[in-house]
Amino acid sequence: MAMRTLEESALVTGAGELWREGTTAKFLEGIGDGTLPPEAFERWLAQDYLFARGLTSFQAVMAAKAPRDAHGPLIGGLAAMHAEMSWFESHLADRGIDLQADAHPVYRRYVDFLIASAYSAPFEVLCAIVYGVEVSYLAAWSALEAAGPYAEFIERWSSEPFTEYVRSLLELCNRHPHRDQQAAFNQVLRHERDFWRMTWEG
Amino acid sequence: MLHDDLWTANRDLAHACLAHPFVRGLADGSLPRAAFACYVAQDAFFLQAFFRAYALAAAKCKRAEEAECFHRFMGGVLDELKVHKSYSAGWGIDLSRVEPLAATRAYTDFLLRTAWHADAGQTAAAMAPCMRLYAFLGCELAKTPTPDNPYDEWITNYSSAEFDALAGEVESLLDRVATDGPGVRDAYRYAMRCELDFFSAPLEVET
Repeated sequence: MAMRTLEESALVTGAGELWREGTTAKFLEGIGDGTLPPEAFERWLAQDYLFARGLTSFQAVMAAKAPRDAHGPLIGGLAAMHAEMSWFESHLADRGIDLQADAHPVYRRYVDFLIASAYSAPFEVLCAIVYGVEVSYLAAWSALEAAGPYAEFIERWSSEPFTEYVRSLLELCNRHPHRDQQAAFNQVLRHERDFWRMTWEG
Repeated sequence: MLHDDLWTANRDLAHACLAHPFVRGLADGSLPRAAFACYVAQDAFFLQAFFRAYALAAAKCKRAEEAECFHRFMGGVLDELKVHKSYSAGWGIDLSRVEPLAATRAYTDFLLRTAWHADAGQTAAAMAPCMRLYAFLGCELAKTPTPDNPYDEWITNYSSAEFDALAGEVESLLDRVATDGPGVRDAYRYAMRCELDFFSAPLEVET
């Protein structure tokens, strides 16, 4: 039900076909049915960890520009990113993956977009960007049944606390509208689409 | 000098640009007109970001004379944009409504991210390749002129002594404000990669 409310938000419906492209992928199908090649999983783990670091910079700059009513979700989100990175680091260490992994060009494009926007776009547009990043991630993982070898990952990003956080970001978008929100949201989905493709294709 | 080391370390990408079908098409005049028009429009969009990146780097300089250099380079970008405007009139391009291609957006996002988020040294390292590469391509193409080449003006512009001097000034500033390290190396190389992708994009639109 909660997911449906988010998927009925104007930004999601306004994105049209891009929404499906940014939230479904062969990689995710492989996670869902447990057939994902280990090298694809490890590639995703390393690049998603790097992405989390970039997203944290974005959120920190955004939080610095935020009005008082946005402090709750944004500062809470930053604290969650710290926990998220520690969690990634332990998984990477368990698998012996080098934390100094080379940044893939697709990852770079996504994070360059985020950080350049954090500084140069209005706060209202940043709301649509962070909402786009999180709601697409939630939708991508929530579509999978939490079973099989990757159940821990599926549960983590389809959980009720994560859903609540995403809902609070949608409320921020609604309270701080801007005519450029849809274009920024769509740009996030293009990056999400390319990111998922990269995790599968290398 | 740092700028020489960086250029030498990335000569593979400079030569990949020189051998690129887009640049070969400029050299012998065979580049489709529509691809050139697309490129000029995208380059005009790119130069707006380049202009802003210089301004941000100037704001981060501790020494007034370094900030003055960045300020002067901003004037160079404005001159380049004037050249684009003159091209655009002749080639039927509307520069006021340019939608950036993915490769253009990647390059401008990278430049602006670096300019906002990193120091003036890394920003100079992200910006120097564009200048030196174009001076290099202009001079290489000028060595083997093609009669009645519609792209002569482009080649003349980037093979000029003035443009070479400007590239040299950017490199000299890079030597002063940047410290050799992974961040500077990475910014320089990634900018060169963005240049290569930038030449591919107009041809991909065509096909």
